[in-house]
Amino acid sequence: MSMAAATDIKSRPLIAPKPLKRSWLESRLLPLLGVIILISAWSLAVHRLHVPPYILPAPEAAAKALWSGIAVSPFSPLGYYLPLWSTLKNAAIGFLIGSGLGLFLGSLMAESRIFEKLFMPYAFALQSLPKVAIAPLIVIWFGFGDGSKVAISALLAFFPMLINSFTGLRSVDPEKVDLMRSLSASRFETYRIVKLPHAAPFIFAGIDMAVVYAFLGTIVAEFLGAQQGMGVVITKAQAVTDVAGVFAALFILGFVGILLHATVQKIDRKMVHWNRRGQK
Amino acid sequence: MIHPSIGQRGSAEALIAVQTLSKVYPTVNGGYVHALDNVDIDIGEGEFVSIVGPSGCGKSTLLRIIAGLDVHDEGRLILAGRDIAGPSPDVGVVFQAANLLPWLTVRENVRLPLRVGGKKKQSGTSVDDLLAMTGLGEFGERYPYELSGGMQQRAGICRALARNPRILLMDEPFGALDALTRERMNLELQNIWQTHKKTVILITHSISEALFLGNRVIVMSARPGRIIADLKVDIPRPRSLDSIILHPEYARLSSEIRGLLNAQGEVE
Repeated sequence: MSMAAATDIKSRPLIAPKPLKRSWLESRLLPLLGVIILISAWSLAVHRLHVPPYILPAPEAAAKALWSGIAVSPFSPLGYYLPLWSTLKNAAIGFLIGSGLGLFLGSLMAESRIFEKLFMPYAFALQSLPKVAIAPLIVIWFGFGDGSKVAISALLAFFPMLINSFTGLRSVDPEKVDLMRSLSASRFETYRIVKLPHAAPFIFAGIDMAVVYAFLGTIVAEFLGAQQGMGVVITKAQAVTDVAGVFAALFILGFVGILLHATVQKIDRKMVHWNRRGQK
Repeated sequence: MIHPSIGQRGSAEALIAVQTLSKVYPTVNGGYVHALDNVDIDIGEGEFVSIVGPSGCGKSTLLRIIAGLDVHDEGRLILAGRDIAGPSPDVGVVFQAANLLPWLTVRENVRLPLRVGGKKKQSGTSVDDLLAMTGLGEFGERYPYELSGGMQQRAGICRALARNPRILLMDEPFGALDALTRERMNLELQNIWQTHKKTVILITHSISEALFLGNRVIVMSARPGRIIADLKVDIPRPRSLDSIILHPEYARLSSEIRGLLNAQGEVE
């Protein structure tokens, strides 16, 4: 009886594992359905409830405005390409300067108690200050050109990187630092081989925020006065109550924001692969 | 404070000489804890010394001081004729729970001691030989999270051996492993010790592990951390797990250590 049961188990085929991927319905169809519901409600509000176009333009009007900005030569002054290029370029330079400085000062404060005592209280105080409020001051200092855009982006990108790199570097497991000490490793070797990789997940979370903040900072600076950029596209459309034009520009900004976030996530997953698997 | 008499103590051939060593930690409420009190140990080249004791008996503190990671308050500590002042390339440390760097492959982890601390290319043992010896030859390019706990600790031992140190310090290296893996690791460690002729200090909670591996078992008491027994284990090598428990010496030492620890009110 028991023998028979034993051979039974052996001869039985293995159970096929359940597919790990979420179903097509869950991952594709439901988000699409959400968009359809949103646009239908929007259309309903405009056409049935008669919301005036200077408050809410019809979806087709916004789509038309969007198309007129996309379907042109990349060098046309009417298209989105030139202003978007200008905005992204300034945001990228600001991001590199701000996040680079944030990582550098964050590392300095994590490594040296003196630097920490010297700057950390003010770093946290400045962090809670609404930095957009400093923007007019920066325009006075740097003028209406690219300088003020880069400066505000850098300022906004600086803080998340400062705080995150400091927190990440300080949270390192003391046993790992002991290991490096037992090997007579230099301070910089310990930083480069143990602390920086350990802080990588924190730093990537900081980069994720810094990228979006740098983008936001450039647009805010452009609102205050600029010759070119997506902020200028929005203020120009607003000046002539072209609400559909504002909507179209906002759509572009939202799309670019999602793209930037997704890119950072992808790099993060590739570089910090060891963080997501069972390792405590 | 330095005791003047200690210079004479300790045999000439001792590789590690611990002399009237004391370590005091301040507590939160302004008091003091004597982690180590007047500890004397002489360890000769090639010895395998197990240290057992209740939690908080300062055995880890002692190991950290020998590793150069902590400083003692009183007494002397001599390693190969020189006073210990910080970490030495003659010492390899095996940590609890492997302590590998998860962002490096197994090979990179084992090679780490050869590329830091200004000790470029002074190795006597090749990384590939070490990996092959511990059965990790095929796993060099894997990451630690892809390995079992036992394999991770094998890599940790390889890393400690990479600089070919004379002394191996092990702080409860197999405490996190299951019983079967632990026994297999004990056998492997005996082999490593016999082939590489290292001097080993092993800290453990397990009396059977201490007796199986050690030439000597040192029993410590808690608060203040003192040595209450230093027992010789006269059981021939190579020892095997099932024959050692039948050896009369094993039974005698095992019950003696158990009695000493029971008197401390704590035993595993």
